[in-house]
Amino acid sequence: MKTDVVSRRSFQVHEHQLSNGLKALFVENPAIPTISINASVLTGARYDPEEKAGLALMVSRLLDEGTKNRSSLEIAEAIESVGGAIETDGSFERIVVSISILKKDLDLGLDLLSDLLINPIFPQDYVEKEKERTLSEIASAKDRPQVLAGWAFNELIYKDHPLHRPSHGYPETVEKLTRDDLLDFHKRYFVPNNAIVSIVGDFDIAELLPKVEQVFAGWQSRPIAFPVYPAASRQTEPRNKIINMHAQQLNIYLGHLGVVRSNPDYYSLQVLDTILGGGAGFTARIPQKLRDELGLAYTTFASITMTAGLDPGRFVAFIGTSPENMNLAIDGLIQEIRRIVEQPVTESELQDAKEYLTGSFVFAFETSGQIARFLVHAQVYGLGFDYIDKYPEYINRVTIEDIARVARKYLDPQNYTLVVVGPVNQDESIPNAITKN
Amino acid sequence: MSLLATSSTLTTEDVRRTILKNGLVVLTKELHTSPIVTSMIWYRVGSRNESIGQTGKSHFLEHMLFKGTERFKKGEIDLLTLKNGGGNNAFTSHDFTAYYFNFASDRWHVALDIEADRMVNCTFEPDEFEAEKKVVIEELKTSLDSPWGLLLQETDAAAYKLHPYRNPIVGWLQDVERASAAEQQVYYRKYYHPNNAVLVLVGDFRTDEVVERVEKTFSEIPIGPAPPEMVLNEPEQRGERRIVVRWRSRIPRLAIAYHAPRIADRDSYALQLLGVILSEGKASRLYQRMVEREQSVTFVTAEYGESMDPTLFHVRAEARGEHPIEQIEASIHDELRSIATQGVTPHEIDRAKHQIEAHFILSRERTLDQAILLGQIETLDSLEYVDSYLGRMAAVTTDDIGDVCSRYLRENNRTVAQLLSDGSQPGSEDAIED
Repeated sequence: MKTDVVSRRSFQVHEHQLSNGLKALFVENPAIPTISINASVLTGARYDPEEKAGLALMVSRLLDEGTKNRSSLEIAEAIESVGGAIETDGSFERIVVSISILKKDLDLGLDLLSDLLINPIFPQDYVEKEKERTLSEIASAKDRPQVLAGWAFNELIYKDHPLHRPSHGYPETVEKLTRDDLLDFHKRYFVPNNAIVSIVGDFDIAELLPKVEQVFAGWQSRPIAFPVYPAASRQTEPRNKIINMHAQQLNIYLGHLGVVRSNPDYYSLQVLDTILGGGAGFTARIPQKLRDELGLAYTTFASITMTAGLDPGRFVAFIGTSPENMNLAIDGLIQEIRRIVEQPVTESELQDAKEYLTGSFVFAFETSGQIARFLVHAQVYGLGFDYIDKYPEYINRVTIEDIARVARKYLDPQNYTLVVVGPVNQDESIPNAITKN
Repeated sequence: MSLLATSSTLTTEDVRRTILKNGLVVLTKELHTSPIVTSMIWYRVGSRNESIGQTGKSHFLEHMLFKGTERFKKGEIDLLTLKNGGGNNAFTSHDFTAYYFNFASDRWHVALDIEADRMVNCTFEPDEFEAEKKVVIEELKTSLDSPWGLLLQETDAAAYKLHPYRNPIVGWLQDVERASAAEQQVYYRKYYHPNNAVLVLVGDFRTDEVVERVEKTFSEIPIGPAPPEMVLNEPEQRGERRIVVRWRSRIPRLAIAYHAPRIADRDSYALQLLGVILSEGKASRLYQRMVEREQSVTFVTAEYGESMDPTLFHVRAEARGEHPIEQIEASIHDELRSIATQGVTPHEIDRAKHQIEAHFILSRERTLDQAILLGQIETLDSLEYVDSYLGRMAAVTTDDIGDVCSRYLRENNRTVAQLLSDGSQPGSEDAIED
């Protein structure tokens, strides 16, 4: 039965490089009569100049608000009338257009996709509307203590590195963005040699490829010069910030700079994450201790691999707890970090974490949308399309010594950033665990 | 509409229904696209079964089902899930409580062993109960720190006078604080029986093998006394209700709730379509008017929620910039009035039908999605609802839309709730830079 499972978990990736440099990746998945399309342009908020923070995200959000061929409403009507959906979004690394559509509407989906990527015009009135909307959304996000805590945490751990800021920028930088900024950004980065299209679903490859070649035929390649910015470095001293806010709970972030996705220790750190702060249910040490035993929180976790990307991610331990638990919660997080740095994990913890990671891996490839995103991910991070077959090997070779080594190397129970947002008692001293270091 | 409605992913024709002698309903559906099996158990108990002073009992019970039996001690359910490379979770609603496991297709029996055991053998250790109470209270507080969590809680409490849908699923803080292990155990005994449950398995298995194993694992559990019938008749609303909720934010938020019929009522289909016409996608009515033209909101949604008893149709909006909340509310009323008097266009209803059909297909890809659909519909109504769903949607006319809009989304049937500033100052920052 097991062999059967492994063979059916795999899928065949058809890889094509179009003559203009566009990378196209296809997987046939006839399970249901739908198709998922994902186009990623390899740029994002990491390249925004400081004074134009928010530019990349705004570009992404305006891609479907008007092209040389269609108005905003015409785009919405075209896709929604057939029950499809378009999403445009931007992260620090990518600008993504994803389209989900019924099989019969593939041609429309491809046509819209190429139009949005090649021909957006960023109409002036939509630029102004989007700026206003972003400003309101920033204000609205400030109502959520966890969001505020996350922003403050990033500012402290990334310092001058572009990831210190929220991807939507700041009110003062958003206000100054202009249509010309958006057009320049599009001209600079939106070229076929800087993009990947992945299509997964119920189609025939032989019919699909010529269609893709045709809709992207007019897209001209051009060399790109990417901006250079300073590398991030891990802090060598403690950093703290408290934001007082009238709320029920404290939201506490504790951690420091993490690792890039290509770090060779990534898989050892995934096992470490599973033992320390992730895993199934509340099996990991932090949720087991702080939630299950002490009842301090509904949400608490820790991870270093979750945010690993082209830029270093963050090692984050998080807890949301009542104000009277502040010291207990912070001490609890630090103790668990210290324990995994100072003492080896047990053989059974290691084995269980491996079983979990290699077993639950399959849940990440259930839908066409998931597979389409994976293809881009595998391409960007150089994982190889045989990653699905190789992953268990990567995990199974991790040893107790590896975990001890990576814990010492990548986690620091002394020089970390601590952010607390919520109703902090003004007289409350900063927990001992921090001041004594 | 008929193009895809016959695909077996979308009907229950290949669902096998087995009823054990002890009353347990078992629904199985083979799906061999991924090497995964989802196993879910649904209990017909939720916040609608809770009386005054007892709110939150169903949800607390969901937490306690992970806290141990004689056979699976505290933490062991999660540990078994981990060791078997699986996933698990649970959720509670007004009408039901559901638990699921996802496992690779050669280990679904682990889930059956756990579900059969914890259906009747939970221990309710008082220390464990008190420890978990703290966790539940933190969960409740997380929801109160979210503007929409708070506003919808208050909206529903105002919209229903009598029906327990007025209570938050997590319960009122005072009730949760005074909950005891002994009372919780009584509640468990009352509702957790095979004859009050539905077991659903979807995925990569052979049905005969699964059904045989289910019979072996569950048939020993005795049939329980039928849970008491809830007599829940919400009196008719006789005029608009308005409430203001004060909170720390400066951004005004608006929720409007209209009483609406239960799932599978003949009007429920037109109301679902109306929700889509109003706010699904950028071509929708309220989006075009309020986000695009008036630029008064950052978002607006309109939604009919399926439930066992008569439900609420919610419209929600968040103000953009300094835009006055009165104008936002006026625009919503105006748009609904226009649909009630002039109806919608054939194009609008056609677009909405395509959106619903595509959503129906696109949201069924995972085994878990299918298990949720089957369990939820079996619990709330009957599987016939799934099979007739797209056909009934297709039959809705533009006149029907205008008709339900005028009969349900009207002034005397609505509760308007505003979340407004309590005048407090935004957060102050104390930076301690070393």
